[in-house]
Amino acid sequence: MGDILGLVGKRLGLGLVILLIISVIIFFMVELLPGDIAEAVLGQGATKENLAAMREQMGLNQPAIWRYLQWLGGALTLDFGSSIVTQEPVMSVIGARFANTLFLAAYAAVIAVPFAIILGVIVALLRNTVFDRVANVLTLTSISSPEFFLGYILILFFSVKWGMFPAIASLSEGMSFADLLERTFLPALTLVLVVVAHMMRMTRAAIINLLASPYIEMARLKGAPPWKVIVKHALPNAWAPIINVVALNLAYLITGVVLVEVVFVYPGVGQALVDAVSKRDFPVVQACCLIFAATFILLNLAADVGAILTNPRLRHPK
Amino acid sequence: MSTFVIGYYALLLTASTAAAYFNKRQPFMMLFSLTLVSFIVGIIGGAGALRAIAFAAAALALAAMVSYAFREFLINIVGRELGKELRTAPLTAAFGMFVIFVYAIAGIFAPWIAPHGEAEVISSAFAPADANMLLGADQLGRDMFSRLVYGTRNSVGLALTATIAAFVMGAGAGLLAATKGGWFDNFMGRFADVIMSIPSLIFALLMLSIFGPSMPVIIIAVAIIYAPRVFRLTRAVAGNVVVMDYIEAAKLRGEGTGYLIRREILPNSTAPLIAEFGLEFCFVFLLVAGLSFLGLGIQPPTADWGSMVRENATLISFGEITPLIPAAAIALLTVAVNFVVDWMLHRSSGLKE
Repeated sequence: MGDILGLVGKRLGLGLVILLIISVIIFFMVELLPGDIAEAVLGQGATKENLAAMREQMGLNQPAIWRYLQWLGGALTLDFGSSIVTQEPVMSVIGARFANTLFLAAYAAVIAVPFAIILGVIVALLRNTVFDRVANVLTLTSISSPEFFLGYILILFFSVKWGMFPAIASLSEGMSFADLLERTFLPALTLVLVVVAHMMRMTRAAIINLLASPYIEMARLKGAPPWKVIVKHALPNAWAPIINVVALNLAYLITGVVLVEVVFVYPGVGQALVDAVSKRDFPVVQACCLIFAATFILLNLAADVGAILTNPRLRHPK
Repeated sequence: MSTFVIGYYALLLTASTAAAYFNKRQPFMMLFSLTLVSFIVGIIGGAGALRAIAFAAAALALAAMVSYAFREFLINIVGRELGKELRTAPLTAAFGMFVIFVYAIAGIFAPWIAPHGEAEVISSAFAPADANMLLGADQLGRDMFSRLVYGTRNSVGLALTATIAAFVMGAGAGLLAATKGGWFDNFMGRFADVIMSIPSLIFALLMLSIFGPSMPVIIIAVAIIYAPRVFRLTRAVAGNVVVMDYIEAAKLRGEGTGYLIRREILPNSTAPLIAEFGLEFCFVFLLVAGLSFLGLGIQPPTADWGSMVRENATLISFGEITPLIPAAAIALLTVAVNFVVDWMLHRSSGLKE
């Protein structure tokens, strides 16, 4: 058990280091601006006094390293400074939105994960049949479509033509949970379509890989019934790749959510990020980027740790 | 029951019986399960739903015929050696090549194909389709069809340039890292890890917010984001080649790094690299489309598929499908490239299962 903890600890430490490097990139990239933030925000026509006042207010007169440390210290306590445009604290802009985004991603994941794994296993068992080819073409099509294409097709049919679900996923205070699920059904379904295709293909590849191994052939040759080969021989070893597939695709959900939120006007972090980018509101952009990157790294970390826990071979690296 | 419905079921049942009689197991399963599904769909959706299924099947058959003919055409015009390779291509790959061919024609000859200029206002906003405008007008009264044709040139051109930039950077660094090894290899590997652990869309948004959306910024941003992926693959492929005896022999002959990369390693790793180029192009194309959909891509009045969808999205709430056509164009090209890449990967890996 000790060496497992050691390995997991090492992996966590590596994740932290990467997150730290990313925070450096996110912060110092803004420093690459020709001029500085004050000039970029106020534009060409700004007077010297305005620029000086803005620099004073944002603390731009201090050295960059010092500001970075302050920003990082603030980020650890979820204080990302205040927005340039609205002067509000960044956390009050994106705090509630982050919960909304997580809700949407979780909603999509709850539907997508079981569905994709079951379908992936079925397609792997039926490999090289017509069904497999049809599934291959369908999943490729779904992966190749931009998220906004799928989103608008769903809007066109489910809300405009058939009037089953609302096209705009606006949230209001005191909505019942059933209402919430209905309002956010179409954005969640869009995400499900994208993620299921990815997950199915990866699950199929993992299972086919597994079914090609010698011990499966041995089990077949000694006359074990097909279901027993799957349940007793293949499945215990399939968990590792499946856990990996799930975690990687949840990480993918985190970025897919940005476009979907814009299509459905859903009040999430993705939309806040896009708004902030077009208004050049750097503190909000930096905070959103850091949050997205941290979630992404965390999920990739979960994939690695899951792989270490379920695959004993990884515990003894050569 | 209309004649259409009776004809529909009669055709399906005849076809599946014929398939069963001639011992074609898979087509039979396919046709008969379609019949069973049609029963359910027909009960729920009525004749309209069955018509949609028939339409989809006809479109599929048409696409298959076109791909078959196009493959034969290609086999006839290329030499014997290439022709032999092409014969192994499945219909999906042939379809992909056909689509890529059509897009290339549309992109190269855009000014001659499009009836109007891309920024030319010729009628009122959202005017419906007529003899002059195949697909109607957009939100400013410009011809949708012309903008779609010009969009091929702009959107695909931008994605292609960005992919080539990413590829030159990534593959160059990968080949160098594989030949040099040592600290350079290690450093580049770690650097690629860090870039790859930032979600690509988020990283692109960060860079665009700082340097503003313009063509060079988009190309450089995309190149920085995707170069590490190319680097990883090139490093792995070249790593397998570097340990070969003939590389050792070339080194003993006293050849320099440049010669090793150009004359020994590169020719032996082209197949996976070409397939990777196709895959990267799909990712880049989708990312750039996403950015321009968010209003951060090619700036107006230049026609661009992503922004065309966004600008005309209001039409969707009136049940119009015109705004979806540019989005479908994006999806179709990505699917086509994926089909071709699928075949190439299958061929180069020698996987026959």
